[in-house]
Amino acid sequence: MVNAAERKLALSHLWVAFIAFILACFMGEYQVLERSGFIPALESPTVYFASVSTHGVLMGFVLTTFFIMGFGYYIATSSLKVPVWNIKLAWCGFWISFAGTAMAAIPLLTGKASVLYTFYLPLQAHVAFYIGATLLVVGSWLWCLIMLVMFSQWKKANPKQPVPLAMFATTANALLWLWTSAGVALEVLFQAIPLALGWIDTVDPGLARTLFAWTLHPIVYFWLIPAYTAFYVFVPKQAGSYLFSDEVARVAFILLVVFGLPIGFHHLYMDPQQASGWKLLHGIGTFIVSLPTLITGFTVIASLEIAGKLRGGKGLFGWIGSLPWSNSMVLAVILALLMLILGGFGGIVNASYAMNAMIHNTAWVPGHFHLIFAGTTVIMYFAIAYYIWPLLVRKPLFSNSMALIQLWTWFIGMTILSTPWHVLGLLGQPRRISTVVYNTLLTLAWKPYELAMIFGGLVMLGSACLFIYNIAKTQFSPVSATDFNQEIEYAEPYHPVQDVPDYLNDFKLWNRVIAVLMAIGFGVPILQFFFMDTFGSPAWGL
Amino acid sequence: MTEEERKKILESSPVGTFALMAAVIGSMVIGWLFLYFGVFVPRGMIN
Repeated sequence: MVNAAERKLALSHLWVAFIAFILACFMGEYQVLERSGFIPALESPTVYFASVSTHGVLMGFVLTTFFIMGFGYYIATSSLKVPVWNIKLAWCGFWISFAGTAMAAIPLLTGKASVLYTFYLPLQAHVAFYIGATLLVVGSWLWCLIMLVMFSQWKKANPKQPVPLAMFATTANALLWLWTSAGVALEVLFQAIPLALGWIDTVDPGLARTLFAWTLHPIVYFWLIPAYTAFYVFVPKQAGSYLFSDEVARVAFILLVVFGLPIGFHHLYMDPQQASGWKLLHGIGTFIVSLPTLITGFTVIASLEIAGKLRGGKGLFGWIGSLPWSNSMVLAVILALLMLILGGFGGIVNASYAMNAMIHNTAWVPGHFHLIFAGTTVIMYFAIAYYIWPLLVRKPLFSNSMALIQLWTWFIGMTILSTPWHVLGLLGQPRRISTVVYNTLLTLAWKPYELAMIFGGLVMLGSACLFIYNIAKTQFSPVSATDFNQEIEYAEPYHPVQDVPDYLNDFKLWNRVIAVLMAIGFGVPILQFFFMDTFGSPAWGL
Repeated sequence: MTEEERKKILESSPVGTFALMAAVIGSMVIGWLFLYFGVFVPRGMIN
């Protein structure tokens, strides 16, 4: 059983994550309402962009980072069966990240950091925003250090033993995050903060966007890896089955980490500062990284197929109906995979070098990333929370039926919200606009879609409230904590893994491969800025 | 379910999964081709 100290550590992180989440949900609904123009009293570009920026930062940085840290601590201590290494350092990381979040929140909420979640320079925010964001990341680096130390210590104490898959995946994510966050850290430390403090007069937006692209795509895998971890280590057991293959799961995580990193230029297809060859190289890498997702889809569905057949399902697809749909983890993975298929399709269109021109900077893009983030990723965060919350607070889940309704409504709301986004993108609606009311025939045609999005957002907001209510009622119910005996259960492969080769049980080799790929993918594209004449841009936005 | 039936299921190939994956990948290819040839190409050059 996990110690009370570790449970408190994990719960504290998860509460910060989900409080950020619910605040961001309210902002999301306000944004679709404001942009539609249906309620004139709400119209305000200033408030809109402050809200969009805060919504993006809360969802993309705060929810994810705190959730991943809290979940990671719980995985580490429960799978390795040891206490968290240096728990004081872990709390130090928590408070640094929390202080950074609070510091960034002030300029965000007062409209002094309306630079969107991507904060592309030369858009300039108040320096407190950049320092706060840096602290949030620095706190998460302590989490990475703790995960790497625990991984190494366990390996030393258990030579030749395969590291538990859950911990292998969590360590892969820590390594990924250290590499991923380096790009944005360089941008903030050497460009954004000096510019905001007035130490430099101009900044090179091309270099800034190149550094941000380093972070912008792999951060998605940082968010997704906990979802994939749950796919592999929780779902098969919850469905009443076995993990289809432990080794294949390790290969998928390694591929995600190695090939997820040097591919960010598909965000820069329309940018002039990088040559076409580099963009094409990153574009090819983007298609390669779809491989681990396909492997994951196959492995998880195969585990579900075995579960369905063990429960009496017959025929090619008869097993689907036999799955335990009333299990929140199983339901969530089915819905998550459906949204991953749709979001993945949108992503393939984004990554297609030529076709990207059709949907670049249109409403298609938020449609795509909301499906991947709010769809696949966050729905699995819900499922993980429903599974581990009772284990953390030592009380049964308040209501499984409410959890199932919540997951379904999230899926339905997401579908209603994101389908019009894709259509509007194809109709040419730009993204990052505070109003769609221009009274031309073209923009009038957008109205029904906007209305649908408001409804979809409302359904999601209601669903989000149900989630918070359910976990809060679970934690604060008067049920005695001593009566609860349930323990975490990790899925095992049908043939237990006795031995795995070193390259599937360690990251030393892969770390070197990443270094080589990053040098190839980003070396010349970054160094070029120091060997050619560039023209700085003055800041604007404040 | 007998132990033999259980073992048979656990050691069988996941044919349903192969079929589902093939359907998903096939749909994605068709969707991509539709968008490329049905929407993108007919819009012509950017003027």
